[in-house]
Amino acid sequence: MITGKYLVAVSIWLPVAAALLCWLGQSYSLRNIVSYLTGIILAVCALGLFLSGPFDYQPGEIWGLSWNTAISAADFALLALILYIGWRQRHKLIIILAAIQALLLICFDFGLGGSEIEPVPAFAVDHLAIIMALIINIVGSLICIYGVKYIAEHEEQHPVAKSRQPRFMFWLIIFLGAMNGLVFANNLYWMYFFWEVTTFCSFQLIGHDQSDEAIGNACRALWMNSLGGAAFALGLVILLRYGGGDYLSMQYLLSHHTAAGATGAILLAVSMLVLAGMTKSAQLPFQSWLLGAMVAPTPVSALLHSSTMVKAGVYLILRLAPVYAGTYLSSMTAIAGAFTFLAASVLAISQSNAKRVLAYSTVANLGLIIACAGINTPTAISAAIVLIIFHAVSKGLLFLCTGYVEHEIGSRDIEAMEGLADRLPAAATIFTIGIISMFLPPFGMLVGKWAAIESAAQLPLAAFLLVLASAVTALFWLKWLGRMLEGRPGAIAQREIMDSHYIASLGGLTAAAVLLSIFIGPVVNSMVTPAVTQYYFSPGLEANLETIAAGSGGLFSVWPLFILLALIAVAAGFLYQPRKVKNPPVYLCGENAGLPESTVFMTTGENMGEVKLSNYYFTGFLNEARWSRVVNRVGLIMILLLLGVTLW
Amino acid sequence: MVKALMVVLLVVIMAPLLGGLLTGIDRVLTARMQGRVGPPVLQPFYDVLKLLGKEALAANRRQVAWALGYLVLIIASLALFCLGGDLLIIVFTMAFAAGSFVLGGFSVRSPYSHIGSQRELLQMLAYEPVLILLALGVYLQTGSFMVKDLFHQSQPLLASMPLVFIALLIVLTIKIRKSPFDLATSHHGHQELVKGITTEYSGPYLALIEVTHWYELVLLLGLAAMFWTHPLGAGILLALAAFFIEMVIDNICARLTWNWMIKFTWTGGIILCLINLGVIWVLRAGGV
Repeated sequence: MITGKYLVAVSIWLPVAAALLCWLGQSYSLRNIVSYLTGIILAVCALGLFLSGPFDYQPGEIWGLSWNTAISAADFALLALILYIGWRQRHKLIIILAAIQALLLICFDFGLGGSEIEPVPAFAVDHLAIIMALIINIVGSLICIYGVKYIAEHEEQHPVAKSRQPRFMFWLIIFLGAMNGLVFANNLYWMYFFWEVTTFCSFQLIGHDQSDEAIGNACRALWMNSLGGAAFALGLVILLRYGGGDYLSMQYLLSHHTAAGATGAILLAVSMLVLAGMTKSAQLPFQSWLLGAMVAPTPVSALLHSSTMVKAGVYLILRLAPVYAGTYLSSMTAIAGAFTFLAASVLAISQSNAKRVLAYSTVANLGLIIACAGINTPTAISAAIVLIIFHAVSKGLLFLCTGYVEHEIGSRDIEAMEGLADRLPAAATIFTIGIISMFLPPFGMLVGKWAAIESAAQLPLAAFLLVLASAVTALFWLKWLGRMLEGRPGAIAQREIMDSHYIASLGGLTAAAVLLSIFIGPVVNSMVTPAVTQYYFSPGLEANLETIAAGSGGLFSVWPLFILLALIAVAAGFLYQPRKVKNPPVYLCGENAGLPESTVFMTTGENMGEVKLSNYYFTGFLNEARWSRVVNRVGLIMILLLLGVTLW
Repeated sequence: MVKALMVVLLVVIMAPLLGGLLTGIDRVLTARMQGRVGPPVLQPFYDVLKLLGKEALAANRRQVAWALGYLVLIIASLALFCLGGDLLIIVFTMAFAAGSFVLGGFSVRSPYSHIGSQRELLQMLAYEPVLILLALGVYLQTGSFMVKDLFHQSQPLLASMPLVFIALLIVLTIKIRKSPFDLATSHHGHQELVKGITTEYSGPYLALIEVTHWYELVLLLGLAAMFWTHPLGAGILLALAAFFIEMVIDNICARLTWNWMIKFTWTGGIILCLINLGVIWVLRAGGV
């Protein structure tokens, strides 16, 4: 496949080149052009991959050396760098975990001769990888375009001696290249390298502002992900020692799982990889690194939460799902994921910081995706893929919109967003679409959740946790949205002027959220079903998925609901015509004082009072620190059980 | 397709007539229980007609849009139900409808309306798990989430899922805004709440919400009727009996706080469902 080869190369190398250009160029207009151009080329590449279909690719040599050797060298260089950072920050955990990884790699490369073994092909681009590439290159690129403008404004508000914008864009764009490498890699040793690169990029991005808090949280992200990295490396060593060189190929692992029956050692290695995925996807008890990552400028959060980083974790777990199908590991994964879905959703209720609500929601949804992988039926796997696609779009959109609003109103607190619908009507509309698309019909996330619950009926405990969590999510989303919609009688929406970068990224993602949901049928048929059927050979599956897609036989179909929603929007215009409808003052038991549109009232002793409104947060009962301790312990026990059942 | 459209049309026309009539009967029976004569049975219709003729007052367009969303989405859920659709999707569409009602209450700057909306959200939190567990129970028992497949059952659902039915009665109390759970808005004005979510609605817009409540009542009683599909007459009687039980509960109970409601539904309601589902699951696993 001649063109495929170039598409893979461009997807990985173009971000590297673009990142270097941003760093060396040092000018705003250059970063601007580079981010737009890179975005367009990457999106075209991803579409090209989608059209070309799956293929394998084995790169040749570089200056007479095999790529494998180059990657080995780069691995050690990266670990040395992490060791240096750990030493400079006096952070023991980072040093220890990096040292463990280095020892494991030495063992792998020299002890077991891993550097000589090169499973072919190095890259295997299959249907799932193509879906991930589409997400990374389209959603990720939009975030980078947004980032150029955002970080410039960010520096105006928080001046620094020497501009750190080039550095910021460098790490932001190179992240996309590392993610592309990660999803295309078939050689697990290569995947491990890209895995470490994404860890390192996120460390650099979280610590961008260089405040004590930022550096502390960046270090936490680094050590937690290094733990995952160590688990990954241990998994590689076990695979090589007990399985042999062939097992380092993802394709081999996937195609020989039934024959091998995933014997003890191989399953143990797989459980290590699942653990690595869980740390990267910030599952309990590792969620604190992702919550700490909130200190970074918003495009970083958007990138980490939607198209990169955390999606690498669920990608690996989902990818390996056929290998551990039917084992206890699978059931435990489902239960651990479902528990995270519930616990993170409950914790989100107590948060008034918009970014923390979004972060908990991400942790929760990743838990749902992992639960689907653990349930491990064809329908559940399709649900997981649907959730990955739609979560990336909607969560990216919500983060970017939060960042935009934060720059406009100077706060990311939900209470400060009161009445946003009149102050920033476009942002409020985007928020409305984004929030509804996260959990309500007829949007894609709901279709995924629906399929998840339907398939979970096989696994009662997981199903029960999913049911509770599903009810909880509505609470924190709707009360946030409610704050933004609030308006005084007869208030007239202000004009809102948005920068072109924001229009491009927010507009693009809003359109994607709506259009992908409307055309979920074709999306499922052309992308999701092939990705599932390549590893799950089950008759009747096609028919099962058709119910989502076509809604045949009077089943659920998203079309009528979309038509109804459009109808509501239009009809509301007719029902409420500003000239014909009066706007009476708010009812305050007849004690209104002041202008009709105000909410000042006469209180005791001839004093005036102003109505103050606020959301319920239940901080008395839902004390975040206390509950985090509790759920972290449960999470830890689940992880230990997950590893325990494989050993046993 | 034509048949489906006919069903939808029938639902749109017939359901509010039925719902309004049931509401009227409720008012008469409630009055009798309290030793009053009560209004004529058709009083709800007179009320709505009068509201429609009143002046249109509203704070802003989104307040009206969300009220309309509430109506349209409840009709959509009812239509899906009558077409024999997927129970989970029906529950989720109902959740969107309730969410739309909540957002309408949030769209104004009224303290009463906001308290009502916050409480309605807590009510959703209270009943949503029970409704989804009900759908799961139906799946475990019949092997399908589809309402229409219930009609192929020889044995009524009530026989295998009696505890879930009791849990549904709790949900009904919350959903049709009866004491002890009329926390978000109620049929009577209350001191701390005035009229809750609907405080800032009046005239034709309030009529819209009243009519939506009628549709919702029919849908909820439909869920109760689902427990006895053969003969359907038995199911209808079952639903009417459930409705009567709700009236009695309404008249013998005082309002309770939301804390109590959450504790009650998350322990009582959910445990009832779990025991019932557990038994079904064990029996099925045992091949009985």
